Amino acid sequence: MSEIKKEEVTKDHSHVQHVEPYTPQFGTMIPSGTQKFMRTCVLWQIVRFVAINIKMSVLILKSHH
Amino acid sequence: MARLVILGAGVAGHTAASFAAKWLGNEHEVVMVTPNAKWNWIPSNIWVGVGAMSKEDVTFDLAPVYAKTKVIYKQAKAVSLNPDGSQTIDKSFVTIEYTGQGKEGESEELEYDYIINATGPKLNFGATPGLGEGTVMGEHTVSVCTADHAIHAAHELDICIEKMKSGSRQKFLIGTGHGMCTCQGAAFEYIFNIEHKLREEGVRDMADMIWISNESFLGDFGMGGLHFKMGGFITSSKVFAESLYAERGMDWIIGAHVNKVEKGMVTYESLDGSIDTQDFDFAMLIPPFAGVGMKAYGKDGSDITDSVFAPNGMMKVDADYTKTSYADWEPSDWPKTLQSPAYKNIFAAGIAFAPPHPISKPMKSPNGTPITPTPPRTGMPSAMMGKAVVSSIVDMMTGKTTEPTHTSCMAEMGAACVASSGKGLLSGTAAAMTVFPIVPDFKKYPGTGRDINGTTGEIGLAAHWVKHLLHHAFIWKAKLKPGWTLIPE
Ligand SMILES: Cc1cc2nc3c(=O)[nH]c(=O)nc-3n(C[C@H](O)[C@H](O)[C@H](O)COP(=O)(O)OP(=O)(O)OC[C@H]3O[C@@H](n4cnc5c(N)ncnc54)[C@H](O)[C@@H]3O)c2cc1C
Repeated sequence: MSEIKKEEVTKDHSHVQHVEPYTPQFGTMIPSGTQKFMRTCVLWQIVRFVAINIKMSVLILKSHH
Repeated sequence: MARLVILGAGVAGHTAASFAAKWLGNEHEVVMVTPNAKWNWIPSNIWVGVGAMSKEDVTFDLAPVYAKTKVIYKQAKAVSLNPDGSQTIDKSFVTIEYTGQGKEGESEELEYDYIINATGPKLNFGATPGLGEGTVMGEHTVSVCTADHAIHAAHELDICIEKMKSGSRQKFLIGTGHGMCTCQGAAFEYIFNIEHKLREEGVRDMADMIWISNESFLGDFGMGGLHFKMGGFITSSKVFAESLYAERGMDWIIGAHVNKVEKGMVTYESLDGSIDTQDFDFAMLIPPFAGVGMKAYGKDGSDITDSVFAPNGMMKVDADYTKTSYADWEPSDWPKTLQSPAYKNIFAAGIAFAPPHPISKPMKSPNGTPITPTPPRTGMPSAMMGKAVVSSIVDMMTGKTTEPTHTSCMAEMGAACVASSGKGLLSGTAAAMTVFPIVPDFKKYPGTGRDINGTTGEIGLAAHWVKHLLHHAFIWKAKLKPGWTLIPE
């Protein structure tokens, strides 16, 4: 059972947390600090917002027959 | 003057009715038969389920919207179809039973020239002992499938949060309540919203969070998983989903058929045949979906339900229902026009049509219990199907053609999914995924079966903004406010 400790939650995923070896969680990728920063970096996210909207629009155009 | 009857004012049916009224003008009649008085933007029920939105934010009254169009609105549910009429009525008709408008319980035989079945899912809580009775949710778990369910869920969540604040640890179990469920995406979004709320409330350290699902791997989503570009690799949705759970300290149980729900505990069978239990303080388990259970009768009154509907109550359309083996499945098995093979004036759209088979590889436990996600039919494909079907019908009603002119095939269309975690514009991060096509085509897209440029996944605030945008845009569109046709399905 993964237990979240108080100090891990205060910064809302601001650092790479401890993952218990040999648990299913240990076998996957964990975001780096840079990755987490970019996820909430407003300037970069504005770029991504435009990109996601373009991607979804293309998807919609390709889907109508 | 011909009459088009649409059954169900959900995503597919309301889209169809809106375009039918616009395109058919005064020359033909459009009738909407639906038991609900309000339209519900179901994806935002997730936010209602964590107390971030109210029922009013996600619903609106249908009557005023239909009053300003030429749609005749009957608040009633369809009970049966007579595609060849009856001994006393020559034309095709649908028998409806009113649920509102002061005519509750009254029946009517409503003739039609064309009919669209967009009745969505029957929430089949009764399929799992203890999860509920028939379509009524039981007392041990919560649901976010309807706005009212979501309000109840938010209330129960608040009680757990209070308990955690007073020092009592709580266990959250979120996922699917049966081995043959679909809609994993909704439960996936809900667990992340709960996790986010617990962090905001400062009680995340007091919660154990467990995902339980019928998927054979995390990130299957009923589509056999998907792959997208990430960090220089073509990454599987399994890695993407596992990463999200690991990052948030959540455990997962997969390949599980929940076969019993009791107060504070579920019993489940796993793909390896083992039977286990899992205790919980709060559980949201999605019920399996079935068709709403309409009947069909021949002119002589004989029961012809089997020729119009599949055994699960969903409507048979132009799909290939003969393929039983996974090895034989082809994208071409999937329906295109959504026309009934038995009756040319009957169509289905959204969740109401019977898929030819799952998309995920069928799996069984050694005890013979099927544990396989059924195919997802999310909002975007449902709305597209509603529009495609009504486009064909309008062409047929106006005499341009006798055959459907538009197609909407899950093997040729994509889907977009935004799973939020919280509602904040500057806090929380959502996952935005696109997939093209929904049904993988390994001949057209060798390798992963999907267009790698059209299948994407990313995590960030921007996806939150997209979710907000979709919420407001689709409610605007559904209310038929100025410019509604410019908002794509
Ligand atoms: C909690 C939750 C979250 C979701 N989130 C997303 C998301 O983020 N993105 C996404 O794309 N999809 C999402 N979905 C899926 C999406 O809501 C469905 O794909 C979509 O609603 C299906 O549209 P539909 O028209 O087939 O069915 P519905 O929208 O369910 O509409 C069916 C309609 O038929 C009516 N009806 C029922 N019985 C009868 C009858 N006998 N006669 C006449 N009418 C009848 C119902 O009252 C209803 O109005 C979510 C689903 C859930 C449950």
